[in-house]
This record gives sequence, structure tokens and C-alpha cells, in this order.
Amino acid sequence: MNRTLVFAKRNIIEMSRDMLSYIFCIAFPIVMLLIMTLVNESIPAESGMTIFRIDNLAGGVVIFGQTFVMLFTALSVSKDRSGSFLIRLFATPMKSGNFTNGYILPMVAIAVVQSLITFVVAFIISLVVSYDLSPAGLIAAMIAIIPSAIMFTAIGLIFGTLFNQNAAPGLCSIIISLGSFLGAIWFDAESTGGVLLKICRCLPFIYCTKAARAAISLDFSMDAFVIPELIVLGTATILTVIAIAVFRTRMKADLS
Amino acid sequence: MNAIITEGLTKRYKDKTAVDSLNLSIDEGELFALLGVNGAGKTTTIRMLTCLSTPSAGHAKVFGHDVMAEPDEVKRLVGISTQDTAVAENLTVYENLKFMAGVYMSEEKGKEAEKSISDRIENIIKMFNLDEVRNKKAKTLSGGWKRKLSIAMALIGEPKILFLDEPTLGLDVLARRELWKIIEDLKSKVTIILTTHYMEEAEALADRIAVMISGKIVEIGTMDELEERTGKKGLEEVFVEIAGRN
Repeated sequence: MNRTLVFAKRNIIEMSRDMLSYIFCIAFPIVMLLIMTLVNESIPAESGMTIFRIDNLAGGVVIFGQTFVMLFTALSVSKDRSGSFLIRLFATPMKSGNFTNGYILPMVAIAVVQSLITFVVAFIISLVVSYDLSPAGLIAAMIAIIPSAIMFTAIGLIFGTLFNQNAAPGLCSIIISLGSFLGAIWFDAESTGGVLLKICRCLPFIYCTKAARAAISLDFSMDAFVIPELIVLGTATILTVIAIAVFRTRMKADLS
Repeated sequence: MNAIITEGLTKRYKDKTAVDSLNLSIDEGELFALLGVNGAGKTTTIRMLTCLSTPSAGHAKVFGHDVMAEPDEVKRLVGISTQDTAVAENLTVYENLKFMAGVYMSEEKGKEAEKSISDRIENIIKMFNLDEVRNKKAKTLSGGWKRKLSIAMALIGEPKILFLDEPTLGLDVLARRELWKIIEDLKSKVTIILTTHYMEEAEALADRIAVMISGKIVEIGTMDELEERTGKKGLEEVFVEIAGRN
């Protein structure tokens, strides 16, 4: 078996045996779906507020869930780096690419599984609240969120490589807060407008949410889906290259 | 055949020289102990010989392969058990061994390879008496079991040289004696480089002993030779005498 897959398998097993990963990566997004649906049910229809409607909510919560995948990536990498385990592996024929890909692959797989569970729950909720949520849209969204999953995993890899076990989660919490707020997950940034919208547009998070929501609605227009998806894809590519370079540089420094 | 040869091997960190012009020759099949107090340069020497640290000057060859020019070849020949028990905490003993076997045997494919990996793991489990803990997660093991697992993981790739960096550090006397027995059993099968600051450990296990002080090897030889040169009996007395001179 390829060394990357051997390492990826080890990372998946390690994560699957950590109860926190179930709480943060799966239970928490589901709880948010349920709570926000209840909130949505309490909002008078005449207000015209649709941000917590299940089609919008599902896209937002999936991106919110990915921020926790970032946190877990950072935790896994920083934990490995804090002990002697990685040092031992540095003395084996493993290359830096085996490590970075071995971290990224399982996290992206986990993000996809997370989105599957979130969308299944969202679909069940849509039946309960009698909203027409397209299964085709949910399947399309599962594919559309892969670039953002890579992007958040890359951020986690960068933080986990650069910072220790104590600092990395704290910094990830900042990104989680920024991502959920400036990603327009919990409010409608487009109708808010002003400086806030300009700030949101300068960061990649809003495009992640936008592309996911557009895919769920099967709206693949240039403005709604293609441009946001391309921005996320570009950001994910750049951040992945940076993450790989940072890990390689750190590994070289550790071996100097 | 020489397992290791170093010529003027040096490691400098800014204003500190951790290893100073090390000239060393270790034969294949030998159990060689590097003895010294904390900070003597033992671990740094091991790090350079396992490609975990780049020498500042000099050369080192492992079975003829230069550690700087041919790190991939060197890494295939060595196994290391570090001072801290470097195991994957949430994996079971068996999974840790399988993981390391996968890292070393990734080129081998097919059912034969799977059987070969499986046989190798079973042999190691038998050799280290790990059967009773094979399905236990590493994080639930005691220090002694973890250390045994760590050494077992270093051996799973069937290295020609095994580096044991303070293998019994922090272990109780029973666990230490059990590890000594395992190391003694390994003596004929693999070249072993052992670092320790436990005198009795080096005395009990090593074919030759090198005493390192401030990054330099100040004495090297068999136990008898060291006793003869210093006029002292027992390694502790020998070491005190050598340290006093330097």
C-alpha cells in the first residue's frame, strides 16, 4: 500500500477513536440544523427572512461543519508534532508529500461524510417542515463543497504545522468565528450591505456558503455558483500549496 | 563489515558544539553503547546517523551510504526507538505494528506481501511477548509495554542497524531487566547502537562502550580495556575516572 494511504489510514483511525471528533464534526452541525430550524419556525413569514430556511441553512451549516474539520486537522498535526511520533516517521523512507497528503485526504473524506449526514438530516427536516428540498441539489452540493473542504483542511494543516497543541486550536477558533460570521452563515450579508459586505467579499468564506447554497438550489448561474466556486477553488489551491510548503519547510528545519 | 563509519562528524548549534569531530567505526553485529551524562551529545549523534539532523561538518556512512548524500538508502537500513515512546496513541499494539510495516513495505503488493507483513508482525509480537496487549490501545499501556512496542516498531522494517536512544529511561527495575533480555536476544540479529546514562545497562549489554563528554568521545573500548586503561573496576568507577580527567 502507498505510504500516503498507510498514513491516511492511521489518521482516520486516530480520529475515529476520538469522541470529540463525533461531537464537533457530526453532532454539532446536526444540533445547529435543528436549533436554527426551530428559530426559523418562530420567525413570522411576513418578515421575509429566509436565511434559516432549510435550503439556506443546510448550505451554511455544512460550511460551518467544515470549520471544525479545520480544527481537527490543526489538532492532529500539532499533536503529532508535539511528540516524538513524527520524528520517528521522519527517520523512515516517508517523504513530506506522504505526510501532507496523508493529513489532507482523510480530512476531506471526513468533510464529505459530514456533509452527507448533514444533508440527510436537512432532507428529513425539509419533509417535516414541508419544504421542497431537491435531493439532486443536495448531491450536487456534496460535490460543490469539496474545494471548501480542501481549503479549510489546508488552513488546519498550516496552523497545526506552525503552532503548538495549545495555540493551534485557539487560532482555529478565530477562523471558526470569522468563517461563520463573515461567511454569512447566520445572517444575510447581501441585504446588510455596507462595509460588512465589502469585508465579507474580501475573504473566501462567503463564497463557500454561496456556492453550497446555489448548488442546493440547483442554480448553476455564473453569479450564484460558477464565480464563487472558482474563487473557493483558487483559494483552496493556493492555501494547499502554502500548507505543503510550510510543512516541508518545517520538516527541513526539524531535520537541520 | 563496518556498519557505521564517521569522520570528523560535527554538529554545531549557533554558539554550541553538540558533537565535536566524532571519529567512530562500528562493526556489523556489534552492540555499541554511547555513554554520557545528559547533554553529552549522544542523542545528537544518533540523530545525525539516522538522517534526523544534518551534520555541520564531517562525514558519516551507514553500510557504505553517506547520511547526507544518500538519506533514502540510509533510512531503509535503520530503525530508531527515540527517548520518548513514539507510538500512535489511539492505535492498538497490532495496528501500530501494521502501520509501521506498511511504511517500510509499501512497495510490496499483493496477497504475498500481505502475508509477509502479517508474518512479520506475528514474529515481532512473539519476540516481544506483546500478545496479551495486542488489541489494547497504545495510550492504555504502561511505560514498560509502550517502550517494548516502540522498540518493536523500530524493528518491524527489519533494519540492519537499530538505534536505541535511552531505551530504559524512566522504567522500573523489572521492566528494565525485561528490556535488557530482549536487547540481548537481538544482539546476534542486528547491529545495535545504544545510548544510555545508566552505567549498569552499558556494562551488561555492550560489546564496546564509548564515553562521550561535551560532544567528544574521550574513551572507547571493551569493558576490560576501559578498566585496564583507567585502573578502576566497574563501569561507574571507570566513568567517574574518565570524567574526572576531562
